[in-house]
Amino acid sequence: MRSFSLLAGVVVALGSLTRVAAAQSEARGFAVERLYLSAPGAGWFVMDDLSMHGGLGGAVALTSGYARKPLQVGSGAQRLSVVTEQSFADFGFAATFDRFRLYLNLAAPLSSKGRNGTRNGEHFTGPSLTLKNTPDGFEDARLATDVRLLGQADSAFRLGLGAQLFFPTGKRSDYDSDGTYRAMARALFAGDIARFSYAGELGVHIRPLNEAATPDWPRGNELLFGLAAGLKFPLDTSAATVLVAGPELFGESAFDSLLGSRATGLEGLFTARLEVVSSRAELVRFKLGAGGGLESHLGAPEWRAVAAVELSDQFTEPREH
Amino acid sequence: MRGSDLSSQQTAQRRIATFTRALYRGVAKRAAQAKVWRFGLLGASALLLSTARAGAQAAPPAPDDEPFDVMHLLSDRGLHDVRDESFNLYGQFTYISSWKRGFHAPYTNANGSTNSLLPGAERSFTGSFTLFFGLRLWHGGEVYFVPEAISERPLSALHGLGGSIQNFELQKTGATTPQLYRARSYFRQTIGLGGEPVEKGSQPLQLGTVVDSHRLVLAVGNFTILDFFDKSSIVSDPRRTFFNMAFMTHASWDFPADARGYSWGGVAELYWDDWSMRVGRMTPPRNPNELQIDFRLWKFYGDQLELEHDHVLFGEPGAIRILGFQNRVDSARFDDAIAAFRADPGKNAAACTSYNYGSTNANAPDLCWARKPNVKRGVGVNVEQYLADDLGVFARGMYADGNTEVDAFNSADRSLSFGALAKGRLWRRPLDAVGVGGGMSWISSSHARYLALGGVDGFIGDGRLRAGPESVVEAFYSVNLLQPIWLSADYQRIWNPGFNRDRGPVDIFGARAHAEF
Repeated sequence: MRSFSLLAGVVVALGSLTRVAAAQSEARGFAVERLYLSAPGAGWFVMDDLSMHGGLGGAVALTSGYARKPLQVGSGAQRLSVVTEQSFADFGFAATFDRFRLYLNLAAPLSSKGRNGTRNGEHFTGPSLTLKNTPDGFEDARLATDVRLLGQADSAFRLGLGAQLFFPTGKRSDYDSDGTYRAMARALFAGDIARFSYAGELGVHIRPLNEAATPDWPRGNELLFGLAAGLKFPLDTSAATVLVAGPELFGESAFDSLLGSRATGLEGLFTARLEVVSSRAELVRFKLGAGGGLESHLGAPEWRAVAAVELSDQFTEPREH
Repeated sequence: MRGSDLSSQQTAQRRIATFTRALYRGVAKRAAQAKVWRFGLLGASALLLSTARAGAQAAPPAPDDEPFDVMHLLSDRGLHDVRDESFNLYGQFTYISSWKRGFHAPYTNANGSTNSLLPGAERSFTGSFTLFFGLRLWHGGEVYFVPEAISERPLSALHGLGGSIQNFELQKTGATTPQLYRARSYFRQTIGLGGEPVEKGSQPLQLGTVVDSHRLVLAVGNFTILDFFDKSSIVSDPRRTFFNMAFMTHASWDFPADARGYSWGGVAELYWDDWSMRVGRMTPPRNPNELQIDFRLWKFYGDQLELEHDHVLFGEPGAIRILGFQNRVDSARFDDAIAAFRADPGKNAAACTSYNYGSTNANAPDLCWARKPNVKRGVGVNVEQYLADDLGVFARGMYADGNTEVDAFNSADRSLSFGALAKGRLWRRPLDAVGVGGGMSWISSSHARYLALGGVDGFIGDGRLRAGPESVVEAFYSVNLLQPIWLSADYQRIWNPGFNRDRGPVDIFGARAHAEF
């Protein structure tokens, strides 16, 4: 009887310890950023205009963005901004040939700051990344490819496919990496009808990290979706300078609770870009965007601003089709 | 400059560019150490020179003496113009393996010190992969972006060598798991001031273009100061030449850099025909030898000033550079650390509560007790001279005050290096290279007193010291395969590792695989 009591005591003690451990569990960071930039030279910020053409060509892009409160947990007075701000500078490089594109993105984190706190027994440690303490880091690097399957570079309807692979070069503690490889497969569509331009995507984010027990944390694989539309305003008679303005909507939803309110993020970005064809026949784009989260979960920020400059060059003449 | 001289100078510059276009593929860094040099290198150089001259008479023109790279391949096929580039992209991969034989050491890490080169046999390696992107924004305005990944395992955790670390690639923060980082991202603006046109060949960190021989060049951003200062057309890129860090730059130039060798700041260069002058201010690390940067450039900084004259001597190009530096950083004077320990033995290495190097020697002074804003100054000269088309000699010497600890590069306070490098055209292998060189470095008397008392700095400290110069002699041969690949064999002997006459000498054998594209 004494032995049974002792055993029961040990079991109860272990159970208590387990509960204490669970009550003090620490949520680890993940890749919060949801602005999955389109390929360098792809026109929109997130959508892809599928305008690859010609022989061998290339594009480079420098994009910088700031997001305010991209990750918050809890609600009402208990709301905690685990990540209060993130900013980055993304360097993108693309090579194109005919209807194919291969590209690489390397994003340097400029800042990632947040707050610490405990909500529902979960302790959250916000990031504290600055250039001062991380002068040369990278977020997850991305290697990707796109191909246009239907239509020409300026058709009314173009259809393509894209695949992206993310390398875990960032750090979970900085909230710029899941610490695992990730991948995306997307169906892309775009078109130009007179002064109207549009683009969209539907895809899958293959995300091994699943920490569904923590609200607003990754819940495994996700559905990706997005749509963009804009009007083109020629600024000179030769149409060498064009302004394109319009909104982009994009988001994601975890498959384990597809389109559920706490498993879906949605963001809107109003964008404008100035497209200039230089005297050397290079296409230079200056892009600006501002917007915020319409459904502020999974990394959709309170608001964000983004700017980019990109240069596309064509080394050889288009092939005949 | 007179027209004929200028033409001769430009021809010489083009020859240098051809000789070294791929010799310069990146660069940067790192940390290090020193010992005694006893070989008659001048004799070896003279022998090499006489052989070269004799061979030059009979050598037929090489069929192809240009290394392979993608930009020139595109240009050759009419898809790109390397003479007038809006962008370029280069890359490199380098793997270096070093094997150190066991060596004589009557003591190692004595009295709780932590920074001895271990006397047993060891193997070290580095593997680096780099991409160099360049983009022209407007006339004269260029941006460069260089991501790099490195994997490494140093000898003895990068301890025990003062001015002659055996592998220039080694970084203070490296690990065997590859680390990806941004090595450079900076903007450069060239402002033409007239003079003659000078062709700048396409290469990493240089878009192919034509500039004025009179020009002002401004750069700002994230780079290594070695991208601009103390350059050498002969030995600037150790990825194709010498393995040892003593040949990368002045061993005693404690240039401002983070633990990888890179930093932030600005550089202004004025070129006036065969004269040039450059000045720069860069950020130092927050604590000595750390990755974290102190961006308060008005308070802590590394300033550089260099004057360069390019010349042609007996028809062959050469250059002389005089470099001065002044660092104002949060660092410790050796004498202050010793005085603090003598005044209060409780202020010893084992009792440090602030940033320190982990010594557990309770009977030794430590720099941690004396850190405050201090100034380090030094001046050096760099001379290079081609003796024939494919044979060059070089020498560098620098004297730094040696009052304060190493902040960013290595432990040497004074240094000298020299050597010769020849291309293989003489024996019908134009992309091969062979080199022999020697380097010596010294520490100041206060630095020696501090180490003799058992103190440690960022890299050295055996717990005891019988001071002497750390010296290295190195010889290597690089054989080119299929144009983009080089395989190299290397031998180094290092005397007095850690400036300690009681230890060594150390034999190190090396091998390198290097590819460029």
